[in-house]
Amino acid sequence: MFSPTKADMSAHVICGGLTFEGVPVELREKVAFREAQLPDALVQMKTMLNLSEAVLVSTCNRVEYFGATTQPDYAAAAWPDFLRRFHAVSEDFSHLSFQMCGPSCVEHLYAVASGLKSMVIGETEVLGQLKDAYQVAQSHGQTGKWLNRLFQSSFAAAKSVRTNTAITRGHVSVGSVSVELAEKIFGDLRKCRVMVIGAGDTSEKTARSLLGHGVHSILVANRTYERAAALAVALRGEAVHWEEWEDHATNVDIMISSTSAPHYVLTQDKLALLLKRRERRPLFLIDLAVPRDFEPSINLLDDVFLYDIDDLQSIAQTHLRERQTEITRSMEILKPHVERYMEWAGRQTSESDSSGGSRGPVSA
Amino acid sequence: MHDRLWLFLATLGYLASAGWGLYALGSRRELANRGTFFLIAGAFVFHTVFLHQRGEAIQHCPITNLFETLAFFSWSLVLTYLVVGPTYRMSILGAFTAPIVFLINFFALAAASQIDLPSSVPHLGWQLELHATLALMGLGVLGVAALAGVAYLIQERQLKRHVLTTWFYSLPNVGRLERVQQLVLFWGFAIFSAGSVLGFFIPHHGPDDWVKIVWSAAVWALYAALVIVLALGRLSHKKTALISVAGYVFILLTFWGINSLSEAHVFPHEG
Repeated sequence: MFSPTKADMSAHVICGGLTFEGVPVELREKVAFREAQLPDALVQMKTMLNLSEAVLVSTCNRVEYFGATTQPDYAAAAWPDFLRRFHAVSEDFSHLSFQMCGPSCVEHLYAVASGLKSMVIGETEVLGQLKDAYQVAQSHGQTGKWLNRLFQSSFAAAKSVRTNTAITRGHVSVGSVSVELAEKIFGDLRKCRVMVIGAGDTSEKTARSLLGHGVHSILVANRTYERAAALAVALRGEAVHWEEWEDHATNVDIMISSTSAPHYVLTQDKLALLLKRRERRPLFLIDLAVPRDFEPSINLLDDVFLYDIDDLQSIAQTHLRERQTEITRSMEILKPHVERYMEWAGRQTSESDSSGGSRGPVSA
Repeated sequence: MHDRLWLFLATLGYLASAGWGLYALGSRRELANRGTFFLIAGAFVFHTVFLHQRGEAIQHCPITNLFETLAFFSWSLVLTYLVVGPTYRMSILGAFTAPIVFLINFFALAAASQIDLPSSVPHLGWQLELHATLALMGLGVLGVAALAGVAYLIQERQLKRHVLTTWFYSLPNVGRLERVQQLVLFWGFAIFSAGSVLGFFIPHHGPDDWVKIVWSAAVWALYAALVIVLALGRLSHKKTALISVAGYVFILLTFWGINSLSEAHVFPHEG
């Protein structure tokens, strides 16, 4: 229930909480909110922190609140107590929590939404998490004009950063770099057939990344057929006997290898013979094994693209560095968005003041 | 307005397009590629106005001297780009097309500036116009195939060397580049072949123009061999791109010389 009062006309937007930057996961996990807990937590938090509006964001990397209040200092002081009480823990989070108010808070949310404050700079998952958190708060009537405007504008600001910078460009994990390279070689992956040689964890993750991008089919070959069969089931693929993998290799476009063989599984001479039996189309080889499974000179063959684990990790690191260099440019792009919000907030306050405090929302 | 001014404006437009295209390649901004396309399209309008006015003035397809031939040749290259670019989402090829077209037009304006309207154009009928138009159009289409080949080689080199520059993200994937290059190569060869064959049916007096015939036959044989081994699947994508680019470099380097030496393909000029 909302009713207008004079007190809320000069409401501050505030935020605070715990992030991966200053709080270890052992502590963050103690105060993380499950989705089902959020409606109740929002009600309790609004009361304890004396907020007129509230949004609670709980992800694996951060537990943060956003609110509108006339008493920012009171809310900041009450936040650690709220965490302690709600989660029934004894830790004191007051020295671990950050607190922000006004333009700093607005800038913080916009930066979080843009992925600038994520563990992996530029990741876009956090934007979806913010949208979900806002959706929960809004659907339970915990937001009003201040936070509605703040969150909606943060989504627009994040879009602007993504469009105008390279903050999301380039992948930063071995799996996603492999997918990116495959897309640059083949374009559409839906026609690509993948073969996984060896049933290692990294090759499974890489195969899963490719599967997530719609590759046509996956074959798994391993010295132990049972392991190949188990991985094939997990990847919705087909297992082949170790002795037959070379025959099947003539029909695949991407080969991922991570065997523990002490020698090369595939040499240049052997591949040259395979290529003669193969249609003329590119072959992408991903060698995740140490020692390597594919002879490096294979890369000299036309239409064959060979990447080992160091190549992939090096590209991922380069992308990460490039993303970090985009942070300054991204913050510049966010500035006018922050200013626009603050101007709007200023107009709301002055309009409310001149109308005798009849417009602002405040929690019952 | 003197018709040359239109070509001058078009050439300036292609220069601007080349600069913008280079920026677009390194900018990592999707919208920048569209800028290249629209700049080239704008310059193409001026280019077309020039050819139209020149055609009106001589009552003939404007391919009566080296100046006009170069302008028509570059025009057909741009026309092919304007069709291929949006059709296959290859607008980025404009970054490669614009500099080549600028250089051809610049050469036409600078080196061939002394050549102007022909004083007498013998009426040789539609066969001559169709022969020359198709042959030049074919060369223009083969030019775009070569430019797609250049883009392929750049992208392939980056993938092979594991050095991913900003161009890596701007250029299309090698699969699409290879498909477009081959498709355009087939079309270019077909159009050039049709134009060349038509040349044998043009009624003419005097000795045969052996310089042009031998040159055309050499170009045709090169591309015929390329197309045949491609169709048979005997050549790697890299070698296909290399031969396509090398073939076109040969055309660009010899085209003006052959046309200068070719007596039957030159009309008397004013002034």
